[in-house]
Amino acid sequence: MNRHRVLFVALVLASVSVAPALRAQGTPVLGIADARAREAVEREIARAADRGLPTRSLIAKAQEGVTKRAAGERIRAAVASQARRLEQARDLLAPSPSEAELVAGADALAVGVPAPMLRQIRAAYPAGQSVAMPLDVLTELIARGVPATHALEQITDLMKRGASSAQIAGIGASVQSDIAAGLTPDAALEVRARGVMSLLPSPAAASALAPSGRRP
Amino acid sequence: MIRRAAALLLLLASAARMGGAQRLPEARMEVGYASVSQRGFDPEAAALLAVFWRQPATNWTFLTSGNLTYAQDSLAAAQGVAAFDFEWPASEHMRTEVGVAGASFSLRSAGRGGNGNAFLRQHFVGTSGGSWVGTGLGRTNRDGVVSSSGALDAGLWYRFGPAYVSASLARTTSADWPLLRASGVVRDPEDDRFELLDALATIELRRGPHDISLLFTGRNGLGGTNARFRALMGTATVQATERVAVLLAGGRQLADPLRGLPQADLVTVSARISLGPQPLPVMERSEIAQAQVIPMAGGGGELVVRVLANDTLFVQVAGDFSEWQPLPMERDGAFWVARVRLPPGKYRVAVAVNQGQWRAPRNLARVRDDYGGEAGLLVIP
Repeated sequence: MNRHRVLFVALVLASVSVAPALRAQGTPVLGIADARAREAVEREIARAADRGLPTRSLIAKAQEGVTKRAAGERIRAAVASQARRLEQARDLLAPSPSEAELVAGADALAVGVPAPMLRQIRAAYPAGQSVAMPLDVLTELIARGVPATHALEQITDLMKRGASSAQIAGIGASVQSDIAAGLTPDAALEVRARGVMSLLPSPAAASALAPSGRRP
Repeated sequence: MIRRAAALLLLLASAARMGGAQRLPEARMEVGYASVSQRGFDPEAAALLAVFWRQPATNWTFLTSGNLTYAQDSLAAAQGVAAFDFEWPASEHMRTEVGVAGASFSLRSAGRGGNGNAFLRQHFVGTSGGSWVGTGLGRTNRDGVVSSSGALDAGLWYRFGPAYVSASLARTTSADWPLLRASGVVRDPEDDRFELLDALATIELRRGPHDISLLFTGRNGLGGTNARFRALMGTATVQATERVAVLLAGGRQLADPLRGLPQADLVTVSARISLGPQPLPVMERSEIAQAQVIPMAGGGGELVVRVLANDTLFVQVAGDFSEWQPLPMERDGAFWVARVRLPPGKYRVAVAVNQGQWRAPRNLARVRDDYGGEAGLLVIP
């Protein structure tokens, strides 16, 4: 009896704590017209919150479905898929990825970036420095048709050479203009990555400037 | 008169083709069947054939159309229209439309002859609404008797979501008594001309490339006749494929003295076939949308999404930066434009026209969206 009461209180507390969390994030999930579907989506988000996953991108995913007039069940399935990807990204970007890194990782997986590449990116960058932007650029390049291994290689090289986030982020737009001008995605990335490399210190200097934890 | 109108039409068409070759033209053809009831006669089955061509250029658009309605001796009419629509360089909100039209007809109810008319309309186009004032002059030869007509009209329109509504008033004076008589009105022998006041209301709903519309007209005689008419005309367009649409229309068309057309009850079924490049009004693809980032000092940038679409279309832009709430768009020349300042990061963007499918702007990386559609991906440094 007592166990049941404890379980009941726990469920009430969980629902009370999740609901304001959704409202606090401007929960557009409530825009789902079908009450049953809305509750299913909210349950999905609550389950993700229980697993310690960030809920903002799940709410955004649900709102995207509302705007695109998707059926309630489809919205629930999309939210569940995003939650799975967030969980997978958390494992791949361990030990302590930020929310931005988790979302970047989940979006990379959604686009088809191979899971081991997330680990490689994490390993290539000093611990404590966000890999969100490099992951975002990797996602964009692969979505543009650059072969995954080439994209990863160029980005990790740039990261190792000390390229800033802004320099890496700028590559995506440059590659686009080169592709529009007629270059293959692969060649466009090669050209642009070399351009950024030429502005960076030599590999030896880069290692000297690298954070102490990574110095040879 | 008809020959002169046709020559002028051809001249305008050639000029438009030469001047507007850099922009995407639109051409379509319509074939169908109509049941036409002229007052006092049994319904007639008629064949319909129409062609339409629209040639946009930088600051103007040329439109021309021709149509043929044929039911042997009892009903045969051919009409042609050519119009220019100018955008004012000094003001993106102003547009001027000027055109000429000609017709030749043989109607059991309203005689044989021809008509030529010209019209001028000034439009004010806002973001969600607008207004217009216009005037027209027409001359009709009916069974050897020539008469002239003139009209003034003014109206307002507003668009919210997928709905478009308009209301207008038109005042017409004419000496084309046979036309009015064919609508059941007896002439007052004291008057040379009659005067009509029309109140028109339109409501149109669009979903993707499909639409349905209703046009109500209330007409009162102000001079020469005190006749009162009420008419309702409904049309529905279902886009069956990217190039073929099925059109259904039914209702009453009131006599139009300016163009010499008689009153008739119509039911039409037709197929509209788009020729050449895909026309904008049914365009759902992202080829008409482009996203650009203007870098800001200190990081981040202004995302500018431009959609090349007619100002009567309902265009939406949304993305994760707006929590997928559609952003308000402004008219800028021939484009719908949305601007939003964003910090560095990765963003997904999508565009929808007339509540059709959400698509990635053409110059962005395309990614699947978990909903069977797509979005554009960009990273702002």
